[in-house]
Amino acid sequence: MTEESNFAAQIENDRNKLSVRCQFCNCLMLKANEGSYCEQEVDVPLMQQKQDRSAEALQTEKLRHFWLIKDMMTFENIGFSHTVDGRKFLVCADCERGPVGYHELASKFCYLALGRVVHGDK
Amino acid sequence: MAKKTYDLLFKLLLIGDSGVGKTCILFRFSDDAFTSTFISTIGIDFKIKTVELRGKKIKLQIWDTAGQERFHTITTSYYRGAMGIMLVYDITNEKSFENIVKWLRNIDEHANEDVEKMILGNKCDMSDKRVVNKERGEAIAREHGIRFMETSAKSNINIERAFCELAEAILDKTSGRESAENPERVVIDRKNNDKAPGYNKCCA
Repeated sequence: MTEESNFAAQIENDRNKLSVRCQFCNCLMLKANEGSYCEQEVDVPLMQQKQDRSAEALQTEKLRHFWLIKDMMTFENIGFSHTVDGRKFLVCADCERGPVGYHELASKFCYLALGRVVHGDK
Repeated sequence: MAKKTYDLLFKLLLIGDSGVGKTCILFRFSDDAFTSTFISTIGIDFKIKTVELRGKKIKLQIWDTAGQERFHTITTSYYRGAMGIMLVYDITNEKSFENIVKWLRNIDEHANEDVEKMILGNKCDMSDKRVVNKERGEAIAREHGIRFMETSAKSNINIERAFCELAEAILDKTSGRESAENPERVVIDRKNNDKAPGYNKCCA
């Protein structure tokens, strides 16, 4: 994953300087320069949920730094979950780990969390 | 407006009886040890994958029926806009093979008539449990004039190849159409490389 202290280095002209990849399998999700940086505070479910949780208690964390992708077809490879409360969650198309971000049905925009992916051209 | 970063967009569907491994074909990574509990609970709707075929960048949008087939509710709305269909049976399940004919009829009824089809005999890694031999799969495909391949989602045999071949078949149709609309466009004659389709390069 990309550490928060390293986020600023990933942004060039408000866009992603490098390709965005899966932190587990390195699958290419988004090519460089295709996402625009945006900040918002959003609750996103944790990638690892504790085993003993009750069905109701979904564990989430607040994330603030995202790449905004307005057209889902901009992605190179990405998976979409089924809809939950107006959102679909984004996962790696190859290894399916996630969520790495979400898709908002109302606006059709996609938000990819900087902290849940890696940045690099290889 | 952002520039378009691809040449073509193909919508593909996976169809077949429950349990034939459609979900695994789309979602190859079925190892629960790695799947997040949250994602596996809500399930995956569709995927976008980018392949390059004959110099064209093609986006594949791949949909699974997500269990609709159990209730026989696969209707026109699911087929709408589909350009390619993977028709999947399980080589260890006779019934799923017999139902291929039923699915073909369903496709004829509901899908666009020029939709490109391909039959996949999945689970070919389970040779000890095989009840449908490869020849029968080939025969039914020949009878209906469609492509056929045996696959294993589990062992990752022929999965990417199948998607690329289907995409290539759609591309053949599309390029025909494009050249008619746009006569100045150079149409690459692919007869020369029929023997070596470009699936090695794509889906990487």
